[in-house]
Amino acid sequence: MTTAFPDLVITGAGLVLPCGDGFEPARAAWASRTPSFAELPEALGPGRGAACTAFNPAGIIPPMQLRRLDRPSRFAWAAAHHAFLDAGFDPRAGGDRVAVAVGTNTAGSEASEAFMRPYFARGPEGASPMVFPNCVANAPSGHVALAFGIKGPSTTQLDRENACFSALEQARWWLEGGVADAVLVIGVDGLFPLLVELLQRTHLAARQGDPRPQGDTGLLPGEGAQAFLVETAARAAARGAAVRARIRSLAWSCGTEDGPASRQDALARAASEALAGVPPRAWIAGSNGHPRLDRAEARLACDLPSLPPPAHPKALWGELCGGGGQLLAAALLETPGPVLLTAPASFGSQAAALLEVQPTR
Amino acid sequence: MQRRVVITGLGFVSSLALDREGTWKAMLEGRHGLRALSKLDLPGEPARIAAEVDLPEGAGAGPRATFCERMARLAATEALANSRGLEGLDPRRAGVFQGAGTSGMPIAETYLEARLRGAQPKAAEALYQTPAVVTEAMARDLGALGPRSTVMNACSSSLLALGQAFERLAGGSLDFALAGGAEGLCRTTYAGFASLKAMDPAFNRPFSRDRAGLNLGEASAQFILEPLEQARARGATILAEVLGYGASMDAHHPTAPHPEGDGAARAMEMALGMARLDRSEVDLVSAHATATPANDGAETAAIKRALGEAAGRVSVTSSKSQFGHTLGAAGAVGAAVAVLALRGQVVSPTLRLEDPDPACDLDCTPLEPRERRLRAALVNAFAFGGNNVCLALRRWEGA
Repeated sequence: MTTAFPDLVITGAGLVLPCGDGFEPARAAWASRTPSFAELPEALGPGRGAACTAFNPAGIIPPMQLRRLDRPSRFAWAAAHHAFLDAGFDPRAGGDRVAVAVGTNTAGSEASEAFMRPYFARGPEGASPMVFPNCVANAPSGHVALAFGIKGPSTTQLDRENACFSALEQARWWLEGGVADAVLVIGVDGLFPLLVELLQRTHLAARQGDPRPQGDTGLLPGEGAQAFLVETAARAAARGAAVRARIRSLAWSCGTEDGPASRQDALARAASEALAGVPPRAWIAGSNGHPRLDRAEARLACDLPSLPPPAHPKALWGELCGGGGQLLAAALLETPGPVLLTAPASFGSQAAALLEVQPTR
Repeated sequence: MQRRVVITGLGFVSSLALDREGTWKAMLEGRHGLRALSKLDLPGEPARIAAEVDLPEGAGAGPRATFCERMARLAATEALANSRGLEGLDPRRAGVFQGAGTSGMPIAETYLEARLRGAQPKAAEALYQTPAVVTEAMARDLGALGPRSTVMNACSSSLLALGQAFERLAGGSLDFALAGGAEGLCRTTYAGFASLKAMDPAFNRPFSRDRAGLNLGEASAQFILEPLEQARARGATILAEVLGYGASMDAHHPTAPHPEGDGAARAMEMALGMARLDRSEVDLVSAHATATPANDGAETAAIKRALGEAAGRVSVTSSKSQFGHTLGAAGAVGAAVAVLALRGQVVSPTLRLEDPDPACDLDCTPLEPRERRLRAALVNAFAFGGNNVCLALRRWEGA
């Protein structure tokens, strides 16, 4: 099913990635294809991943608020700050005409673990009323709303590896329905010890070295947040905003069953519908080193041999690094022109989008 | 061109009964599903009341199905009972929209607890049971190949899921939607609300002067939504019309509502606007009304602001008095109660409302059900993060 985006544009982006905060470190890492994987900080337990070790919200998040936030909320706050600055947009002036749509796989989980560990050890005395509010996946959207005075609608989508694309889909409905003038779409995830352990104990984590898409190596987790201010082209033009990318299409498809062939068919349908005959200049792919996602894109490369070679953000910044937001971020780092994004998921809906990246400002 | 959207199926699994009609009959008889907590081992917790659902063995069962998923599947089966499912429809234009509850959280809790004891429990299930699993299982059961949406907006999740389904159907991109939510008990939510001192150790008392907090509950409510013309063409029984929805954020506090109900009022106003519904036509508010000291007064203020003078004539009811707070499912439960009220032209009571709070001075339907003319209803669900959703419904009169 294709959802056309004839007049929606991204006018600002804020990137918190394992390679650093902002466009410059991301651009450098993307240009050189330098992975951010390393041994994880001790607090996360043994294992490799792409942690945001250089993340520094000083000057963005006041210290009093910082101590109340979980990692995903910190990332989301900082990414939102950068996105609004990049877009030259004052969210407070927008009030209830500004919406937030978040896609995530892990928001709330870090806090849940942090809440339950002392509870299991000490009973009710160990339960922290300061930690509990962050146990819900929509904590980042609530904190972002509070920080920037955003009073419009909000959703948090938990639709697996392409959750950020689900958030983008909701943004489309709110913008086209006139419910909002601007939607801040955020992909966000945060690492936590239980996740790192589970990925290793289930052997999903890369068995050695870094993940190699199409290499059947296993995946490695990442973290971060990527925020994108989405507006109608008309409204962006009216306020004289520069455009980072036009969103030309967003397509979804589900297989008839959960098997690999069905997922591959679904992704191929979504990609074909998203392209609608437009030859892309670049292809940003969601392969992560695990066959479940990789094989769908390998099949796509065979089915559509005219596609350019895929580029793999998850080979640099990991899976779970923004619910697919890392793919959108990578697309904005490409040279101008049409960019195909494919966002396969391990179950459920497969997504693809076509962005027309505009010349760098 | 917006299409009119109607509800043609409703399944309701609750602590009162495992079906819609049984639940509604019990509500009108003044019964509730609250009882001493039996499902969770919570040493040291002073509040030990919950509205638990007992499922017979095999009910709603599916491969690796959690309790949430089983309730959701059972409710969906009932919702689909009077529908021909996707017969004659394009499955790619059928979507599933679910408000996430605790879902697989009990499995993650058990895993973590075992690891802290030094055990080596199986890891796969703890990683597999994400909230999206429920949505995907229901889509598989239905044979739907269209959009799947798993919303996690805490206590407004399932009402926003209904709103999403409505806008896709009204906008013409879908022809059939299964939407709702399911919520089961788990230790994280129980201990969490207790840590916030938000739990009443006795049965909750929405809108009461001495209300002292919430009780948690389990439930699932599932709806079939489709365009009016399609429902008419297939001779479906129409339960109610969905007119629109509103959503807002308070931008006030991570957990406490705005004291004057600012965000809640804006959500209600937005729903009225999208519904093109005059506030004088609203006869019922299925309130969020958790029985916490902060919520009920703020919601009363919000209803007054959104409905103006009409607030003095509206009936308000809190189904938390029957089902406790069903968190992610609460919005869908509130919507189910409103649909059944519109159908039967009777408002279910707010139980234990013997001493109303002067700050909650609307007609909150104390103690007894009330028969009255009900044309349209608003359903409220508010959540952590200052998240507010309101759904507007109209009685179906065959027009």
